[in-house]
Amino acid sequence: MNHYDCKYYLNTDVFKGLCKRDKSSINADDQACENFVNARKCKYCSNFTLISTDLGTCMNKYDAYPEMSAVTCNEFS
Amino acid sequence: MYVMEIKLGQLEDVSDVYNYYGKRPESGIQQREGKKAPTPRADKARQLYLEAKSSVSVEFPYWYTRRWEELEGEVPIIRRAEALKSGFAHLTPAILPGELLVMRKANYLRGSYPMPWLSEAFLLSKEDDLFKTAHKASADDITTIGQGGGNVTASVGNVISIAGKFGLRKEEIPILIKTAKRWLNRSVEDIGHKYEQLVPGYGTKEEIMRAVICMFDSGYTLPQGREVLNYYYPLQFGINGIKEICSKNLNNVAGRPGMDRLYFYKAVHTMLEGLQTWIKNYSEEARLMASLEKDETQKAEYHEIAERLDWLSENKPGTFHEALQLVWIFHVAVLNEDAISGLSPGRLGQVLYPFWKQDMAKGILTKEKTIELLECMRIKFTELDCFASMGVVGGVLSGNTFNNLCLGGLDKEGNSAANELEMLILESAMSCDTPQPTLSLLFDEKLPEEFLLKGVECTKIGTGYPAWINNRVAMEFLLNNFRKEGMESEEARAWAIGGCLETSPGSWMPLELNGEIYNIPGGSAPASSVGVHFISLPKVLEAVLFDGLDKRTGRRVYPAHGSELTTYEEVWTVFKHYFSMTVEVLTLTNNIQHDIWGKVSPSIINSMLKPDCLETGRDISHKGSRYNRTFNVEVCGGVNLVNSLASIKKNVFDQKSISMDELKTALKSNFGYLSALETGSYSLTEQFKTDEYNYWLRIHKLCLDAPKYGNDDKYADNIFREWQQWVSKMCENYRSMYDEPLYSCQISVSTHAPMGAVTLATPDGRLCGTAFADGSVSAYPGSDRHGPYALFNSATCYNHALSQNSQLNMKIHPSVVMGREGSRKFLEMIKAYLRKGGFHAQFNIVDSRMLRDAQINPSNYRGLMVRVAGFTQYWVELGKQIQDEVISRTEYEQLG
Repeated sequence: MNHYDCKYYLNTDVFKGLCKRDKSSINADDQACENFVNARKCKYCSNFTLISTDLGTCMNKYDAYPEMSAVTCNEFS
Repeated sequence: MYVMEIKLGQLEDVSDVYNYYGKRPESGIQQREGKKAPTPRADKARQLYLEAKSSVSVEFPYWYTRRWEELEGEVPIIRRAEALKSGFAHLTPAILPGELLVMRKANYLRGSYPMPWLSEAFLLSKEDDLFKTAHKASADDITTIGQGGGNVTASVGNVISIAGKFGLRKEEIPILIKTAKRWLNRSVEDIGHKYEQLVPGYGTKEEIMRAVICMFDSGYTLPQGREVLNYYYPLQFGINGIKEICSKNLNNVAGRPGMDRLYFYKAVHTMLEGLQTWIKNYSEEARLMASLEKDETQKAEYHEIAERLDWLSENKPGTFHEALQLVWIFHVAVLNEDAISGLSPGRLGQVLYPFWKQDMAKGILTKEKTIELLECMRIKFTELDCFASMGVVGGVLSGNTFNNLCLGGLDKEGNSAANELEMLILESAMSCDTPQPTLSLLFDEKLPEEFLLKGVECTKIGTGYPAWINNRVAMEFLLNNFRKEGMESEEARAWAIGGCLETSPGSWMPLELNGEIYNIPGGSAPASSVGVHFISLPKVLEAVLFDGLDKRTGRRVYPAHGSELTTYEEVWTVFKHYFSMTVEVLTLTNNIQHDIWGKVSPSIINSMLKPDCLETGRDISHKGSRYNRTFNVEVCGGVNLVNSLASIKKNVFDQKSISMDELKTALKSNFGYLSALETGSYSLTEQFKTDEYNYWLRIHKLCLDAPKYGNDDKYADNIFREWQQWVSKMCENYRSMYDEPLYSCQISVSTHAPMGAVTLATPDGRLCGTAFADGSVSAYPGSDRHGPYALFNSATCYNHALSQNSQLNMKIHPSVVMGREGSRKFLEMIKAYLRKGGFHAQFNIVDSRMLRDAQINPSNYRGLMVRVAGFTQYWVELGKQIQDEVISRTEYEQLG
């Protein structure tokens, strides 16, 4: 897993960001550390169904995509 | 010294490529006068900013679209409010360590996102061949964008470059395209396009756009902006207070005639619920950050952020910090409503002064803490990006978003409005010199000398701001145009600059704070610059000379005029005819676009903020604002037009030293030079000869030697005055969708480069593809040979209050204004111009050789800022067209 998928990743731009835990600068696509925790993303949600590499559905009725942040989604489960 | 001998590709010898007035500097590159350091907090934040790339997220458009689709058949404004609510409620919060002001447009530091509800064709054209030609803006093809700084100019790894500036994660492309497709035939662009085709002469409009005689349509690209925000309602009532106003008014209008009011109040209420969730999500994030934080000071700051946001999600602010945070929340909220450039905070130092004054009196705030907060505010404004196509974001905006903060001017009673907080705003703009918010100083004779000198001190260090604006001229313009809607002198004083240089009406609103009433200024009109956006005057002249054709493409733009052009009057008459045709068809088509915008995607947040929408129950597209005469005609390249007319008049008709046919052939032959598009050099200072150079030398010399604007030369200035007087009058012949006359607006932003890129050589000696003169009263680079006061005389040969603005850029060598004596001399020069009736002047205090060095070695100059035209931008984020043009501007080595 990489930083981009981690709960503690705080992106500053599309390439990089900071670790929320220790404030270190990290690249989104670099390998995550041992403190990795899954970010809340659609791909980890039970309402999400993957239909192709980058697309899926939410609750079988809305378009969705696996990498989408679900931090603010009330339906995430 | 005018560039008579054009330098020929002497890239290895850079010593001779500048235009100077006065003695050429002999020593090495002159640094600007000493800069101040920001607070450690702001310094760290700025460094983070400088390392960040412009990044696009799909989050907001995804949730907006998803909710929009759920509400098929709903009243449009309610549907829009629900969509906005969903977008805000689902934005992922992101708080960076050290931030004192939080919340941003998207979850990236320089985040923005596409708004397919306005325009989706640009996005689809990237993916689907079907859309590659549909609605494609020709301006995209001829725009260069800065290759450095935060621009993502190429796709790398998992990041895709869009519009030559923005990075988007690869995995978001499919959902972006899918989301964009849902707006096909439903976006403002598509629906507007459907109906604008019904305008008689629409074919001419298409040809005008294709020829880049007009830069872009405003209705779906940047439908809002170039205006001053008004923060009164949130500051006075808080969010819950505004919701209560809506509920009360809703009860009063439900079921009664004028039913649109019902939907408007309901929409505002709904949208505010979305904002509250957005704020609370940030509050929650602050608590999460606090839970992970080991540093006790930082942990406490996160908790304070959370508490502040919790409070502001419902209540009115009580302190300066709270007020500033709330101002920022609503500023960003409006920016998330539509693609917007030029959303100005206006006279923010006067708006926030009551809070600041009371906090200082209570001893809960210090000047040092104020500076730190203001520096943080500067970083936040500088973070703002606007997602748009390359033609708009590069060709017009140069990546800037023009959030203009105004200082000075007069208060409601007519006294100086400058205050101590504004002094600190100037101080923070010097210590934390970032492009935004840019500053404008509203000059009035009543302003204290100390305040003016502080402004000069700020300008001198090379920030490019404050721009110096004539308060009296602006008030005259406003009273001329808005008296019919009830404006009187007292209210005219509440004005500010919207965007880079658009005079915008304001109003005084009674803010109550702890029992005291303060009249605070704020914007009181919708976008003060929409309508006909950027007509290229030299390109229209080109069509005149070539019987209605665009010589670049060979396509017919205008009906053949058939005139032999045997007199100067014939040339001028045909020019006026073609220009009028252009304004007419663009006014009608843009009226339709804006009408569609108001029908299918009306403003709710900005409307709520603008007096008197909450009182009338009408949004800004339905004349809910206090002032509504806000459509204009923007032009570009005026000085090249005037210089060209002077050359034609002198050489072809008065002295008969060139025949019209010879001149036309010389223009087509580019006077024996390669075009700028071939050489990649966009100013006259470095151009490359062809074998035909000697053949055209005589004619080119005559054209270059013809009278030029900017030298107090009556021959050119009379033509300039005639043009100005005619255009300001003719604009009033056309009416906006609000059934109000248009006014003229004379700024170039960045359009003088791409519009120059598609224009043949001009009769003034300018070469094909090179940039036009910037602004509206700036001299063409190198052509102002008689010093600043001659330039001022030329610039003020007409009444600047006839137009929404005028724009004068000057470049001055840093040594000229060095020290206290330099400041006084500089201030006297500025005053002299404004007292003559000049509306605006702004300055690059820089050694041209530094700019040249920065062009060659950009990595050494990440923080270098320059003034372009109404805005300051990082040098490395400017396209080469603009860089070349700024380098070539005349550098003044003396002020007398």
